Formats: sequence, C-alpha cells, structure tokens
Amino acid sequence: MNTENRTSRRTMLVKLGLAFNGIVGACVAVPILRYLLSPVTRERKVGYESWLSLGGLEQFPAGQTRLATYRNPVVNAWDGETDDIACWVRNVDDHTFQVFAVNCAHLGCPVRWFPQSNLFLCPCHGGVYYQDGSRASGPPERGLFQYHYKLEKGQLFIKAGEMPTPGRAAYGQRGGSKCA
Amino acid sequence: MRLIDRLGQWFNLRLPLGDPLQETMKHLVPRKSASWFYVFGSAALTVFLLQVVTGILLALIYVPSAGEAWNSLQTLNQGVSLGWFIRALHGWGSNFMVAIVLLHMVQVFLFGAYKFPRELTWIVGVFLLLMTLAMAFSGQVLRFDQDAYWGLGIGASIASRVPVIGPWSVQLMLGGPIIAGATLTRFFALHVFLIPGLLIAFVGVHLLMVLKLGINEWPMPGRIVRRSSYLQEYRELTHQQGVPFVPDALWKDILFSGFILVLIAGCAAYFGPFGPGGQPDPRIIQTAPRPDFFFLWLYALLSFLPPAAETPIMLLGPAIALTVLLILPLVAGEGEKSWRRRPIAVLSVLLIAVALGTMTRLGEYTPWSPVMNAWSGLPIPPEYLHGATSLERQGALVFQAKQCHNCHSLKGQGGQRGPALDRVALRLTHDQLIRQVIQGGGNMPAYAKNLTPAETTALVAFLETLHPPNQTPAVNASRAVALHIDAQTNSSPIRGDR
Amino acid sequence: MNRRAILGPLAILAVWAADACTSSPGAVPAKSEVQPPSEIVAFKVLYRENCAGCHGEDGKGGAASALANPVLLAIADDSVIRRTTAQGVAGTSMPAFAQSAGGMLTDRQIDSLVEGIRSWANPDALGGIVPPPFRAQTPGDPQRGADVFRTYCSSCHGADGRGGKKASSVVNGSYLALVSEQHLRTIVIAGLPELGAPDWRDDVPGHPMSEQEISDVVAWLSSQRPQFPGQPYPLPADRAEGEHR
Repeated sequence: MNTENRTSRRTMLVKLGLAFNGIVGACVAVPILRYLLSPVTRERKVGYESWLSLGGLEQFPAGQTRLATYRNPVVNAWDGETDDIACWVRNVDDHTFQVFAVNCAHLGCPVRWFPQSNLFLCPCHGGVYYQDGSRASGPPERGLFQYHYKLEKGQLFIKAGEMPTPGRAAYGQRGGSKCA
Repeated sequence: MRLIDRLGQWFNLRLPLGDPLQETMKHLVPRKSASWFYVFGSAALTVFLLQVVTGILLALIYVPSAGEAWNSLQTLNQGVSLGWFIRALHGWGSNFMVAIVLLHMVQVFLFGAYKFPRELTWIVGVFLLLMTLAMAFSGQVLRFDQDAYWGLGIGASIASRVPVIGPWSVQLMLGGPIIAGATLTRFFALHVFLIPGLLIAFVGVHLLMVLKLGINEWPMPGRIVRRSSYLQEYRELTHQQGVPFVPDALWKDILFSGFILVLIAGCAAYFGPFGPGGQPDPRIIQTAPRPDFFFLWLYALLSFLPPAAETPIMLLGPAIALTVLLILPLVAGEGEKSWRRRPIAVLSVLLIAVALGTMTRLGEYTPWSPVMNAWSGLPIPPEYLHGATSLERQGALVFQAKQCHNCHSLKGQGGQRGPALDRVALRLTHDQLIRQVIQGGGNMPAYAKNLTPAETTALVAFLETLHPPNQTPAVNASRAVALHIDAQTNSSPIRGDR
Repeated sequence: MNRRAILGPLAILAVWAADACTSSPGAVPAKSEVQPPSEIVAFKVLYRENCAGCHGEDGKGGAASALANPVLLAIADDSVIRRTTAQGVAGTSMPAFAQSAGGMLTDRQIDSLVEGIRSWANPDALGGIVPPPFRAQTPGDPQRGADVFRTYCSSCHGADGRGGKKASSVVNGSYLALVSEQHLRTIVIAGLPELGAPDWRDDVPGHPMSEQEISDVVAWLSSQRPQFPGQPYPLPADRAEGEHR
C-alpha cells in the first residue's frame, strides 16, 4: 500500500462523510425551513381571514361613522391586548356600509375620525381622507383600506384577520374578488 | 507576587494565550496614529460591552410576551430597585452606540482607512453598522408600547411594498397575520440571540483584521496608496517611527471610553429611561406614534416623498446606499488618503450630515402632522377675539369645531401642516378665502361638503379679522363694483353686514 | 495601608452614587405609567384637552360662551350640562363627546367634566333671586318680541338689531343659522359677562325681563333667520324674498 493510495482512500472517506452530512443536513433543513415559513405557508392552506361580527347594527346609526373593535380570529393565549383590533364603521344609509381599517394607507398609523369636519386624519405624516375613505391630501397613494362586509340577522359581519398593508392590498386586488 | 506569577505560568501552559497577548500589546502602531482621532472604534466596543451587560440584567426581569411585556417594563421602572437606571443605561447606551459607530465610520472614511489592504475591514464594518441599526430598531420593539406597536406597523407597511414577496415578508416579519405575541418573541430572538451573536462574531473578525493589518497610518497629503508598494511602506513606517500599542495608544482609548461611559451614566441618571409610553392596545387610537431618535430622519423623509415616487425610493434607496457603501473600498481602494486632497469625500460627509441633521430636527416637531387635539384643546388667542362681532365669534367656533386648528397655527399654537393664519387676511381676499375653504387645494382637503353656507360665511368673517391692526386686509377692488351693479339691477341689499 | 486609603473613599463614593441614583432627576416615580386615554378622569386634564379649545381655559376667554358664568350655572342643572356635553347640540358647533354618540369620552369622564364645571358655580351669585327657568315654559310671540327687543336690547344692538356702538349685529343671517334657540335664550338670561352683555336683570337696570318677555324676544330673533343664510353675493330677487336682514 503506497501513500498515494492511502491518501486517496482517506480523501474519499472524508468526501463520503461530507456527503453523508450534506444529506442529513438537507433532511434537517426541510423541517427547519417549514418551521420558519409557517407564518406564510399557513395562509396558503386555510387563510387568516374569516367572517367576524362587529355586533348589532343598532350600534351604527345611519349617516355616522363609529369606532368598532373585534377580536382577531387567529390568536395566541399570550397576545394580551394586541388581539383586539379597531376599525371604523360608516353606515351610509342603513343598507350600505363601509368598514375602514384604522391603518393609514401610507404607513399603517391609526387614523382618527373627526365627525365635525368629516375627515380621517393620520397623526404620523398627515394623511387625510374624506368620509368615504378616499384620499383627500397628504402622502398616501390611495384611500383607506376597506373590509368586505355583510349584514346578517341584524349584525354587521366583516371579513378580517390580517393587518392591511399597501402591498397586501395591491396583491389582493389582483387575485381576490371584491364583494359587497 | 510570586504566587501570581506561578498561577500565570500554570494557566499559560494549559491555555497558551500569553504570547499572542504579549504580541498584541507590544505591537507597533504608527506614532501619529496613537491619536485622539483613533478612539471611536474602541469606544464603540466599550459601549457594546455595556449593552451586553445591561441587556442581560434587563432580561432578568423582562417578559417577552405581548400580554406581559409592558407590565414587566413598569416593574423594571418602578418595582425593582434601580431597575429604571439599568433601563436608562441600556436606552442611552443604544443612542450613544449608534452615534459613536457613525462617528467611527466618518473618521475611517475621511482618513481613507478603508483603502488597500483594509477593504474587507470596511465591508465588515458596514455590516456591523447594519446590525447596530437592527439592534436599535428591534430594541425599540421590545419596549412594547404604542410607539413599538405602530412602529412595527410602519415597518410592515414598508416591507409589504416589496414587489411579489411583500405580503409574505410581512407575515414572516410579524410571525402571523397581525402584530401580536409571535411578533414580540420573534424580535426578542433577533435582539437577544441572533443579532448579538452575529455582532460578537463580526466584531471579532473586525478586531482581528485591525490587529493583523495594523492600524491605519495618519494620512499625509501626497502619500498615495498603491497595491504594489503599500505593505512595504507601512512596515517601514511602523518600524521607523512606531510606538507600542500599550501604553502609548491604549491610554487614550481607555480614557475616552471611560469618558463615554460617564456620559451615558450621567444621561441615564439625569434624563431617566425611555418610556414605555401607553399600553400597546390597538384599540387606543388616540396616539401619535414616533420612532426613537436615530430613526427620526427616516420618519421625516417618509413624509416628504411624493406619493408616486414613494415606493421605489423606499425600496431602492436603502439598496443603493448599501451598495455604495459596500463597493466603495473596491472601486476606491487606492490613491490619496488625506481628506485635505479629497474634497468630494468631505462634501459628501457634510451633505449627509446636514441632511440627516435637518431631517432629525424636523422629525422632532413633525410640522407635517396635524395636532390631533388642537381643535378641542388649544384656545384661539383671546386677543384675536377682542372686539369680534357675534358672527366672527361664531366663525372662530367653526374654525375650532371643523378642526382647522389641527393643521393651521394661530400665534404659534396648533398644527403646522398648513400655513399659519395670523395674517391670512393680508394674503387672501374675501372671495379667495371662500374658494380656498370650499375647494381646498395645496394639500388642504376640500370642505365644500362639510360646511354650510352660514358656516363658511362665519368662518371667512373670522379669517378676515386675522391681520395686524395697522395693516389693511386684501380687497378685491372689482367686488364692490360688481355688487354695486348687482344692487342697482336687483335692488336687493348688499349682504355680509359687519 | 495605602490601598485601604484608596478603597475606603471608593466604597463611600459607590454607596453615595447608588444613593444619588435613587433620588436623581431621572428616577421614575411610582404610579407614573401612562394611562389609557379612557381611564383619565382628572377634570383639569379632561377639560384642557376637550373643552378649553372653545370655552377657554378655566371656562372663560374662549370663542364659545363662558362656562364659568355664575348665572349660567345657576339656571343650567347637571342634567343639562351632562346632556350637552354627551350629545352635543345639533346644528351648532358643539360636538357630542360621549362614546355612545360618536365621541371619545366615557360616561365616567363626562361625569367628571360635569362635576368640574359645576365646581365653578357660585350659589350666592343671585342673592336669592329666582332666575327664569332654563327651558322656555311658554311659546314666544315674535310680534311682541320685536317690542321687547326695542325695550331691552336696542340700546346696545341698535333699533333693528343690526348692531350699535356697544355691540354687534344679532340678526345676521349666518349668525342666527349657527346658534340654537336655546343658546339665544341662555344668553338673554345669563348674559355674556366678558363681553359686557348683562344678564336678564340689568338690560334695563332695575327692571328684570319677565319669563314671557324672554320667550318673546327669542322668538323674534328666531324669526329673523333667513331661508338661505350665508350667501356671499345677493341672491336673485325671487329666491331672496324669504330672507330678511
């Protein structure tokens, strides 16, 4: 047995070991990746959104815009108050509603409704919206995000469960259908 | 003493670090580099160590749970003896760390220290800067209050604008569909395990490079860096006029680090900890979220970008800035080091410093944001109501009730989003005021649907009183003529008695 | 010996530093956490943030009528103040503040406001005189009201109400469109002390207005409201007919 042979045999064993570790690594990487990507992959299967009640219609007088809150459908026990999400409900004429996200369409800060001037004002960068949610002035590119809604058994239901963001809205408009 | 020597020998035999340590301490640095300009790197390291220690101390109490984090911060502030001081040290430490890292970077840039053969040291340093900023942002998230909550919302809104993968990256960032428990634990893992681990590794590599390549020599105008000859020149320089690192250079490092620590402790004791602000309850919408000091410039910038260009600038800007920083030493690895011969470098630093400073200043008082409770909380200056008619007083009420004060200031009080109205009657005539109120324009929403004719008349009547007493308001000369003719043909009286 | 000489002061310094820290300006006082806005019930804070903008700091000096007016507080009981604060006054600049009416304040906070405003009252302000009731008991007659106006008001507001040397017009169409009848009545009774408008007793000194006279003059003012208030230019003759000055 000469040294060259010895070397090549040892080298081959090292390569074999490396390959073995590579395969094991790949096998372990799959569950790790799936674990890391679980917030994304979950949506593809069941989705985060579901129909939620905002309560009886009597809370929302016609012609007015009121703050409503709902509990997010997907929660963890340790979420604390962060599960309670606010939204603005505009009762146009008792049959037509508009449900706006509080998140400004610019960067997501909470817009506040001023019934006297019929405007939504954003405290962060000064985005302003009219009462129908359309953009009035300031940096936003678009109007306020709206939830889909339906009226059932005297209650107002909205389809919610995920924080609205500009990119998501653009994505939803391409793929999703717009109801109500 | 003999005992200590023997202990030292015992350890050195089993942990042979003595020689490399000796070598490090005695290694020669160019005499002029043992300067007060070369202390920022070591100061950054010192503050980093302070952050590690105070961070561990905070972790003894802090609960990384969305439901409990805010309460545990209150316990730290009020319930634990001197807990507030540790929080303040950590908070002020982060401010100083960002500042010192930036100073270090500016010094390195101006002294040409990123040039051959230290290009990789600079590149590693750029990643250290990114990690420092990431620590700053994730640290702000861990202070789980309203600012943290809505700051995450801002982060998510920006991330969502990335083409194609935007919505998914938001879900990854938040660990779910909304900002909640999973978001906080995620940022906790980043802030406490991942980024600090990376930081320690990168700081180690960074330091190793500085030791192996030697500290940058004091740049002399006219001494050109060339790849072919630099290493030889540097060796000669250090041998001819080098001084040992310990003690000739180290004493300045130590003294400056100590000075910075005293400053941090002083700020912590005097100003106290940052926040936490209100509870992170998304139902509380009476809030005006604001980022921490080092991101105020970004907050300001985001209010000035035109809507159409915003997304591209938001996404491409950081990528371009990062690319420039990373390839800088590769394209400018040779040549003049001294800032005296590099005017463009000096001007760039000045430009960036002035821009960041201005933006930060603006971010401090947010002139673009409405003051949300000005309409109900800030009275109209009483002297503006002095001698006002009943109609004008009603107009002042309309001014308040329709939230005009939220965007327009009177006597410096109120929003600064629109122009101050103290002298508006000098600028706009009666008709122009009506038009501006009804149609809006120039970033003002149109109020046509929200004002009755009576409200408009009253409001404009009030606005027309806003001028200095010794100057007459703007008048449209043709109005009187038009009204006069009208009155003649219609024989109806002229309206708007005042 | 030498080492002890250094360590001793050092230890004292450390103890002193730790002690100084607990009393340094940066220390966080107990119970200083930020409260949710709906939990704030301190009258001063609530008033400053919600009312001072129009009614002025400490209830006077604002564009709206002063709340710290003893006569006003003598005729308006708590239920009036509560209802006005909670529900607002439709058609005027007074907004509704109760959450149930679209505002931002809880019932508890509105109670605190009512209590605080009541604390400005002065029980002896009227010296035993019984003021006219807050709400009109009898309908007013605009015809008689014109006479009442001439008697009690014209010395300041001019014979036809268009304003005189001491006071401005109270028959301006836009002004009348923006105030409620109750507001007019309240002013007639309680006056506007800051602007020099006397209360119901002193319009004609020594001759207080009667309950019926107050209702009549309010009815007359009300009848001066035009159909189309607030026109910047004269209306065409056919539309302007319903409109008086």
